[in-house]
Amino acid sequence: MSDVRVNLPQGTLDLLILRALALQPMHGWSISERIHEVSHATLQIPQGSLYPALHRLERRGWIKAEWGTSDNNRKAKYYNLTRAGRKQLEAGASAWGKLSRAVALVLDMS
Amino acid sequence: MISELWSDIRYRVRALLRRNAVESELDEELRFHIERETGKHEAAGVPRDEAVRLARVAFGGVERAKDESRDARGTQLLESAMQDLRYSIRTLRAKPGFTLGVVLTLGLGIGANAAMFGIVDRLLFRPPPFLRDAGRVHRLYFAWTDHGTTRLERGTSFARFVDLQAGTSAFDTIAAFQVRRVAIGTGDRSREVDVDVTSAGLFRLFDAPPVLGRYFTDDDDRAPEGAQVAVLSYPFWQAEYGGRADVLGERLQVGNMTATVIGIMPEGFAGLDPRFMPAVHVPLTAYSFSQRGAAYTSMYHWSWIELVARRKADVPADRATADLSAAFERIWAADTDNVGPRASAIARPHALLGPVQLERGPQASRETQVVNWVGGVSLIVLLMACANVTNLLLSSAVRRRREVALRLALGVSRGRLIRQLLTDTLVLAILGGAAGLAIAQWGGVVLRQLLLRDDPGAVITDGRTLLWAALAIAATALVTGLIPVWQAAATDVAPVLGNAREGHAPPSKLRGFLLVFQATLSVVLLVGAGLFVRSLQHVHAMRLGYDVDRVVFVEARQRGLKLTRDEQLALDRRMLDEAVSIPSVTHGSPAASIPFWSNEGRLLRVSGVDDTERLGRFLLQAGSADYFATVGTRIIRGRGIVAADRAGTQRIAVVSEGMAWALWPGRDPIGECFRIGPGDAPCTIVVGVAEEMRIRSLTGDREYTYYIPITQYGEPVLSLFLRVAGDPADAVDGVRRRLQPLMPGGWYVTAQPLRGLIDPMFKSWEFGATMFLAFGGLALALAAIGLYSVIAYNVAQRRQEIGVRIALGATQADIARLVVGGGMRLVIVGILSGGAIAVWAGGAIEPLLFRQSATDPFVLGSVGVLLLGVALCATALPALSAARVDPQLALRAE
Repeated sequence: MSDVRVNLPQGTLDLLILRALALQPMHGWSISERIHEVSHATLQIPQGSLYPALHRLERRGWIKAEWGTSDNNRKAKYYNLTRAGRKQLEAGASAWGKLSRAVALVLDMS
Repeated sequence: MISELWSDIRYRVRALLRRNAVESELDEELRFHIERETGKHEAAGVPRDEAVRLARVAFGGVERAKDESRDARGTQLLESAMQDLRYSIRTLRAKPGFTLGVVLTLGLGIGANAAMFGIVDRLLFRPPPFLRDAGRVHRLYFAWTDHGTTRLERGTSFARFVDLQAGTSAFDTIAAFQVRRVAIGTGDRSREVDVDVTSAGLFRLFDAPPVLGRYFTDDDDRAPEGAQVAVLSYPFWQAEYGGRADVLGERLQVGNMTATVIGIMPEGFAGLDPRFMPAVHVPLTAYSFSQRGAAYTSMYHWSWIELVARRKADVPADRATADLSAAFERIWAADTDNVGPRASAIARPHALLGPVQLERGPQASRETQVVNWVGGVSLIVLLMACANVTNLLLSSAVRRRREVALRLALGVSRGRLIRQLLTDTLVLAILGGAAGLAIAQWGGVVLRQLLLRDDPGAVITDGRTLLWAALAIAATALVTGLIPVWQAAATDVAPVLGNAREGHAPPSKLRGFLLVFQATLSVVLLVGAGLFVRSLQHVHAMRLGYDVDRVVFVEARQRGLKLTRDEQLALDRRMLDEAVSIPSVTHGSPAASIPFWSNEGRLLRVSGVDDTERLGRFLLQAGSADYFATVGTRIIRGRGIVAADRAGTQRIAVVSEGMAWALWPGRDPIGECFRIGPGDAPCTIVVGVAEEMRIRSLTGDREYTYYIPITQYGEPVLSLFLRVAGDPADAVDGVRRRLQPLMPGGWYVTAQPLRGLIDPMFKSWEFGATMFLAFGGLALALAAIGLYSVIAYNVAQRRQEIGVRIALGATQADIARLVVGGGMRLVIVGILSGGAIAVWAGGAIEPLLFRQSATDPFVLGSVGVLLLGVALCATALPALSAARVDPQLALRAE
């Protein structure tokens, strides 16, 4: 575990959420847990900012919300990736890939 | 992209409509998150309290997350607007008296406007329904110079209509039309309706396919005989035939024509004149032929139709006018009647194109001018209503200063506060507008029946009126909200909150100004009301030269069967004999000229005067020896007509005072000779002088009457005046029943009180007086209420000060004087400025008055006194309450 925590660049939170939901429908808390775990605790999102992002994505039709029952038998709101959301994820991921490679190239210049 | 937009809209609509569900879902979702986070820490062995704290910290501000989620929904602005709305409605419901007062005040203002707009729009702006290319359709006017004055006519003859069609090239259609009262049907079912006599071309101007059958075409409308066909209006078809589809082919008696029904007009079609709703349309040629035979085609003097024309699309209006003028001048020059002073070099005939709306053209009626004034007045009333509401809002705003300051201190933005205040006034204005439309619906029907004869229709379903009302509502909300908003925006938080007392509201200079404004407008409107009422009094008091309220006018209308001149003369005699044998009829006489109905003028020649027409218009009246006793016209000098004046005896005449003065100034007219008609007409000797008789116009000068014996007149008139004992309205039915059996063939008798012919002449003054009085009264009431509320409010504000004054020895009278004086000063300023405006604007309204100066000191003085009296009453109540202030209580309340 590293102590280095990185703040998210603007606009990448949406991409992370979409990526997390690409595996399976999830509720808000497990999305934040998943991102936290998968990034080896490097990425720390303020949990409160997750929800406005979820509502924004839902409004755009990239994810869909449904009420379901959680593993501890409580009512929870599950988010699903829609087809439009999947397309958006692909486009966003490839754009991010190009961006990060380009940034890495520039930074490695010596 | 589209699907994204669609999802967006769906999402926002749900967020908006199911706001509560969405909110509670958000709550639930966030609670779940924090519980899970807490559970995670607890599972790691953290105690419960600490676990909750850690979860909260990790989450951040819950309210902020909620707010941002709401923002993410994209409905924030709308939601806050709805919140404002709910808040407004709650506040207004908490003050039902205030709300009701404001809504009624605005309702009257907006209602008055909507009702007047409906009429002004109909008369001036809206083109006739279904008219195509209204901008290119013109009414045609013809002008020429006659004895130095310009005459302007829109009536013309069939012969000239044909010549103009042949002689112009600027128009794709010239159509002729005229609405006439014509008897339709036969037997018991016969009655008079408005019949539109038109050339076939008229239908080409409209985009109105018949609902059934067809319209008449140029083939049906071919001179001279035409085809006896009729097109029915939709309401007539519904009322008379129950909307039966097999009505086509049926026969309908229309005047002298037996017409075949060939089509039905669409619903709402009213022709070219909004004052009429013709029941039947018949071809011009067929109708003319039924009236005058084939000779009508060359009767240039039978001037009874009006023309309307559509310019070709590529011809500008000035070229079309020149084209029409040239054609008119050629016709004028070719007409052999037009010699001497009527030669075209002197008469300079020319034509004008006017708008298709008659009342916007050069011959707008006096009624329309009055309507325009009243329309302006209704705007003033709305303005006054707004001033009152602003006043009420200001006093409630002063009470809300602390609330406003508190909200500002709590961080509510000023923008939000202003939105809230405007929402208040908008809600009030919309409620007022709803009340106003209800008032307009009722008032509009009354007004239109007063002014227009068309289908009154509904105000609340008329798009243009609704649009106008919506504009009025929006303007009202802005105008009434403006000042309170400005005051709220300028609210300084600290002093208001820091000071426990509210007594330090700034002295209401603004409200004083509003009061002066209201008093000014009230004075202007009431002066207008006074002027119209006085005009109406003058008109009613004016002696027309006959007894309007004792006389019945009887007319035999010919239809079908033609009678020779001698047969008609015999019918005249039989009618008179039968009529005077009715017990309630005291006197009777035939009459050749009927006031405001028909009149006859003939060329007069007097030795020593080369052109009598230059001196005035001389109208002929013919009657029996009983004529003067029948109508009540007074003989001033000499004698009247006697039974001995017969066909073979010396021709005699009684002339009016004005005629005597015009033809023989300074001389005794009795014994003078004048000749009636051209050529070698014999001398007619003046035997008496009588009162002037108003026949053509109430205001018209240089119109004179002479009276000759009916026996020497020699032509059938088919008209009778009967003097009855009692009310003429009660006598008409009996007269009609007694005379109808004398009628040959399809002929029929009409009988009506003479008053019925005169009253329409008074319409503009009646309308002006009624509307100015109604609006002036409304304005006065608004001003009084405004004054009362301001003074009462001030008294409440100054209770302590008044208490101190009383404690220091002021008497009750002193206090009352103080309060009343404050209000009266404002009102007196208003009276002076209103009087000044009324005098200044008087010149513009004077032509619409009747023998009434616009700066009548009596009217101005009465209005001033009235306003002072009302103001005194409005201030007296608060003054009394001020005088009763108990100094101990007032001071202790500190």
